[in-house]
Amino acid sequence: MNATTSLAALAFAVLLAGQAAAQSETTTLPNGMDITPDYQEYGRWYNAEGIPTYKFDDEGAIDFATFNGYRRYSAECHVCHGPDGEGSTYAPALKESVLRMDYYDFQQVVASGKQEVNTAQNQVMPAFGTNKNVWCYIDDIYAYLLARGTDDLPRGRPAKKGPKSDEFREQEDSCMSM
Amino acid sequence: MKYLLNSAAAALLLSSATAYANDSVMAEMAKSEQWAIQTGDYANTRYSELDQINKDNVKDLRVAWTFSTGVLRGHEGSPLVIGDMMYVHTPFPNKVFALDLANDGKIVWRYEPQQDPEVIAVMCCDTVNRGVAYADGMILMHQADTTLVALDAMTGEEKWKIVTGDPAIGETNTATVLPVKDKVIVGVSGGEYGVRGRVTAYNLADGSEAWKAYSTGPDDEMLVDPENTMHLGKPVGPDSSLNSWEGDQWKIGGGTTWGWYSYDPDLNLVYYGTGNPSTWNPSQRPGDNKWSMTIMARDADTGMAKWFYQMTPHDEWDFDGVNEMILTDQEIDGESRKLLTHFDRNGLGYTLDRETGELLVAEKFDPAVNWTTGVDMDPESENYGRPAVVEEYSTAQNGEDTNTTGICPAALGSKDQQPAAFSPKTNLFYVPTNHVCMDYEPFRVAYTAGQPYVGATLSMFPAPESHGGMGNFIAWDNVAGEIKWSLPEQFSVWSGALATAGDIVFYGTLEGYLKAVDAETGEELYKFKTPSGIIGNVMTYVQGGKQYIGILSGVGGWAGIGLAAGLTNPNDGLGAVGGYASLSDYTELGGQLTVFELPGDAPSEG
Repeated sequence: MNATTSLAALAFAVLLAGQAAAQSETTTLPNGMDITPDYQEYGRWYNAEGIPTYKFDDEGAIDFATFNGYRRYSAECHVCHGPDGEGSTYAPALKESVLRMDYYDFQQVVASGKQEVNTAQNQVMPAFGTNKNVWCYIDDIYAYLLARGTDDLPRGRPAKKGPKSDEFREQEDSCMSM
Repeated sequence: MKYLLNSAAAALLLSSATAYANDSVMAEMAKSEQWAIQTGDYANTRYSELDQINKDNVKDLRVAWTFSTGVLRGHEGSPLVIGDMMYVHTPFPNKVFALDLANDGKIVWRYEPQQDPEVIAVMCCDTVNRGVAYADGMILMHQADTTLVALDAMTGEEKWKIVTGDPAIGETNTATVLPVKDKVIVGVSGGEYGVRGRVTAYNLADGSEAWKAYSTGPDDEMLVDPENTMHLGKPVGPDSSLNSWEGDQWKIGGGTTWGWYSYDPDLNLVYYGTGNPSTWNPSQRPGDNKWSMTIMARDADTGMAKWFYQMTPHDEWDFDGVNEMILTDQEIDGESRKLLTHFDRNGLGYTLDRETGELLVAEKFDPAVNWTTGVDMDPESENYGRPAVVEEYSTAQNGEDTNTTGICPAALGSKDQQPAAFSPKTNLFYVPTNHVCMDYEPFRVAYTAGQPYVGATLSMFPAPESHGGMGNFIAWDNVAGEIKWSLPEQFSVWSGALATAGDIVFYGTLEGYLKAVDAETGEELYKFKTPSGIIGNVMTYVQGGKQYIGILSGVGGWAGIGLAAGLTNPNDGLGAVGGYASLSDYTELGGQLTVFELPGDAPSEG
């Protein structure tokens, strides 16, 4: 009990010292994309062009889909790409990649994988197109990485999250049971 | 002498009352000027009788020569030295170099297997390999793609080659192999892919399969005798594994065998541990999930299980039980006992009678460990041998989609595969440890063959209310179950230790330091920063009458994933706290062997 309390206090202190989790003023990425949330579908936020994005509410809570992206990233991606999208000794920091890459290119790499094998490196990313644990949540993972890339979302587990909507749940059930 | 057994000879050997270990391995291991097996000896003590380099002169150590492997990923394991030849291996693509130590390290032969790079994609935590083995004039390399190849030790020529697993369903290899008698014993990785763990023995003569023992499933496939395979003094009974799983889940239930193997030639028993049950979401696999997380003792000839001990029934934290089993003969209450000592991922240091599997000691080897209050040591209790789980830190009791916070240790354990050493001079174990805690949130996952099957999100951080670092290097008394001394380290100590008759202990650090400390007191006597972080194991040998110390640098492995970016953001104000700083501020990728010596010529004989 004591340990948890002090740990919670520590986590809180880290958040205070760090950046507050909130939507930033600048909404255009280096790749030219405007990530301003425009409309919601199945509990996920999209920009005007239909590209997934994230949204904080007035209390600083991140939308549930982006929170879910954190969970799925941390289960499926972090064993190579490191915690919080920060990269590892051999795999790139995806929070940087999403600032440069186009959403559709991102999808393509995740679906089909990637190989860079030569004398300097042995990098191979598997194809996740048939992995429901990844593909049912690909938009969530992308939105999460965007939020990490802009630093609107600090490292670690998002402190506050919005509710899981019924339509998100329905869409999840239908995708996972396909 | 060649030691090729035909089946008649093998049958004869089986019926013989005397146990023969592999003559060639035994002979080469007995020479203290060599490093003939990754673990130092069959007992996994990682102790060397060499004492030219000792606690008085180790401060004068200097670099003698270096060798670049040309590969930039995590370098685990160590070189071997047999005669004048040194054998250096690499992570994927698993090259092997034979260097002539009598000729300035000239490359006598090199071997580079052709492997489908797709295997990299199904290796959970970097492309590490823990090294080659030697037997009968052959160098044995178990590649990432589970190809086991036997190479002529003098020429590098392929003698035979077999495939031990299927990477398409996530089966890979990171471990070394154990040659015993006329066989070589081989494990499998892939607990994060729902691989069904097993150990297989192949005949050294031609690579044909001799026996196979699964960690889970029906008794005959596990090579378990329900009446004679013991668990804490009692027969395991029929269907011990099947009864501990729901439905067919044992088929994708993990219990992989990617750690170290030890062997007692007198008892003719092979010892190893099994890994985590798949998935990491405990709610998806009710039951004790036997025999994951288990110490196993098996007959080397037949594979039949003599005894099991399951350390973490129904794992809720990914505490694989694969760490090394160190075999020692020590006195307890004035009586000489054949002991097995094991430092588990779960943070408990176990001492057992290796003949019977009787549990003698189970104590925390890091005071931060909080998921259990301890193991029930009362043989009359129905919970005998079980750890008492603290509700607050139980990811199973808190359930799916709940973030359980502040669990110590983290999933990488109070210690991972990085092997400890034992000195018979001090009767102490020298243990590289992690000092990291975690939050763990399990959730439902679907199984797809060849795809990650994880089912939990976790975040890790240095143990709170401690020194701020993420590791310790400790000396452990396995009879008292106590820490003798503990050296705080900024990062997890992910390097295998070496103890020597020179009263010193060596280990490497993730920043890249090779360190030597006093075996009695832990006082630091020497350190040198090598070109990359160290996750390899320290070894020693003699060439031309002079003692050398060798270590592979090349940061990576699981440590490289979790720690490369630091575990927590080095925010302003907090960045000054050493433990939060990221490893990438200290080191870069590499792949290099550094060999150390004392200045001057070899001491004259006598």
